[in-house]
Amino acid sequence: MKNHGDEIREKERQWKDETVSRALKKYPYLKESPSRFFTPLDRGENYDFLEKVGFPGEYPFTAGTYPFDPTAGLSRLAAKVPAGSAHTRAALYSGYGAPEDTRDYYRNLIQKGGRQGPNLAMDLPTQCGYDSDNPLVEGEVGKVGVSIDTLRDLEIIYEPYQGDLNLDRIASNFTINAPAIYLMAMYAALAEKRNIPLNKLRATPQNDILKEYVARGTYIFPPDPAMRLFRDTLIFLNKQMPNVNITSIGGYHIREAGANRKQDLAYSMAIAIAYLREGVSAGLDIDEFAPRFTFNAFGGSMEFLQEIAFQRAARRMYARILKENFGAKDPRSMIIRQPITAHIGPSDTTIQRPLNNLTRAVIGAVAGALSGGTGAPFPPYDEPLGLGWSLEAQQLMQDAGRIITCEARLLDVEDPFAGSYCMEYLTNEIEGEALDELDKVQQMGGAVAAIESGYMQKQVAGSAYEHQKKVAAGDVQVVGVNCFTGENELEVETTRLVPHPYDPDKRSRAEQLQIASLKEVKQARDNREVKRLLMELEQKARKPDEALAPHLVACAKAYVSIQEVCDVFRDVFGEYDPPSIL
Amino acid sequence: MEKTIRVLVSKIGLDGHDRGAKVIAYGLRDAGFEVIFMGVRQTPERIVNTAVQEDVKVIGLSILSGAHIPLVKKLMEKLKLAGCEDVVVLVGGVIPESDKPALKEMGVSEVFTSGTHIHQVVDAIRRHVKV
Repeated sequence: MKNHGDEIREKERQWKDETVSRALKKYPYLKESPSRFFTPLDRGENYDFLEKVGFPGEYPFTAGTYPFDPTAGLSRLAAKVPAGSAHTRAALYSGYGAPEDTRDYYRNLIQKGGRQGPNLAMDLPTQCGYDSDNPLVEGEVGKVGVSIDTLRDLEIIYEPYQGDLNLDRIASNFTINAPAIYLMAMYAALAEKRNIPLNKLRATPQNDILKEYVARGTYIFPPDPAMRLFRDTLIFLNKQMPNVNITSIGGYHIREAGANRKQDLAYSMAIAIAYLREGVSAGLDIDEFAPRFTFNAFGGSMEFLQEIAFQRAARRMYARILKENFGAKDPRSMIIRQPITAHIGPSDTTIQRPLNNLTRAVIGAVAGALSGGTGAPFPPYDEPLGLGWSLEAQQLMQDAGRIITCEARLLDVEDPFAGSYCMEYLTNEIEGEALDELDKVQQMGGAVAAIESGYMQKQVAGSAYEHQKKVAAGDVQVVGVNCFTGENELEVETTRLVPHPYDPDKRSRAEQLQIASLKEVKQARDNREVKRLLMELEQKARKPDEALAPHLVACAKAYVSIQEVCDVFRDVFGEYDPPSIL
Repeated sequence: MEKTIRVLVSKIGLDGHDRGAKVIAYGLRDAGFEVIFMGVRQTPERIVNTAVQEDVKVIGLSILSGAHIPLVKKLMEKLKLAGCEDVVVLVGGVIPESDKPALKEMGVSEVFTSGTHIHQVVDAIRRHVKV
């Protein structure tokens, strides 16, 4: 074999000196070959298939989290299922206005045959721990998601979920981070009031607070106490709600905030490690809770081959961290569970000639299908045109995914690039870069320390700026934006005819309605009990080892509002003040 | 020599998507402006107070949450009360085409959406600020 390697090396040198050089003479504007060719040498010394790749669904999971994708086999079956009744367990990310509006939206989905639990988008006041009646949040109630102030609001939203769609029969998703502990307490309270045992509940809270400091920004408290809330949530869910996922980690947000691939992977891993350590330091065995860590998604980009490599590297890196650093034995602790693999980022879409975004999304979806995921041509092409997607754009997105599965049959082979000289090289490359950056963060004291010092934030903002400068200079080409913009190009416009699924009248009335509802709740509840519960909460919050979640379930049942809880924490923990980025 | 123009860059409201705001802050800094970056979750009051204290000529607001109409309205009222009507207000973010006229009517000088180059913002500042 060694002789063969030397032979290839010699042959490669000859190829460059003779064949490539000769070709370059014909193109005087090229100083070197604009493309690369990979050989067995690029896979690294002593490439060991079982060590580097292995079989799909087996350690180190490079080839895939699962042995196969069931949607590949279901494609014919799926085609027979009536529209609107997808077989995923949670609905699309949704929610708007007052709880009544979101309830009606879900009721309508159920009437059309939907069987999925809510996948709740919450408005920014809820995410930031403010009540709807706070003057600070005027104009934001019910925007970007539904408003949740008290348990009453969750009760309203879940009205359509009864009988065979009761809480023990559905799975819910909550995009909530800083006050996640209270949202989960509310969900527990809702279940207990319906006499449903907590261990029957299935849900996924996003509960990924650390990335909020790096991207997205819905933090409330400083990272340290935020991690205490994370630990409390982890312990509570682990013990009381063992079928509820603990976190859904999102490198996606960090990448969309400007991070490059290396930063996305390194920081996602650093954040996961910080969360895992909370469970370990609480005295839990890693295999008791790690299987319920999930990933929301990593980021994506238009760079097709590199994004496939990224997914392979991410799976291998996480598996090795769990096995080697945390001593996990259960393979379920070592896998990255995520709804999609490679994809493009919404920040890759352009407002110019927006139908091109469908082409872009399809390229991302093909990368997804070839990297152990379903082909998800996300986002819909009209993503940058305004808030909310048209139904046409969503239909085309779905169809593109179906075409990838049913016509192109891209899910028929697992990890088709396994063993490819190029792909193994790119996988090693991104893994190596991310490991170096992860080491750097760990030497600073881990994710929390790297966030407190502002390191991660500055790195990500710096990458965002570098990217923007490259776009401005034309070093990164974006079709229709910084190239191919001449007079002879046709600026293809699109119409968005189908009305938005959310009722605009309801949207405009939501804030007033919700403020009135909250007022009613605050009058009708036992306010002496509320005061007592809040005082007790403060005492418990001041003791770092006190478990807060059980008490918060009692608060939820007494209709204590989200701001009342968060204000106690604000008093005890303080509020986060971000370091300067300039 | 031209006096350095002071620009305040801020998010307004609860929306935390600050990539655009940060990139613009870096870009304006490198274009020679003096940038005061306020970051996320700022109120109209705090922005106007800082604008007065720092004697800025330009306020750049970044909003991606859809709450731009009420938030900008509030800010413009506060600016007027503070006697700062000559401060140039620029808005960037996810702003539907149909909302642009309303923002302009409130006194916003320019609205920038995705795909904007930093030099366009630089040009707008030079055009609107009378030094």
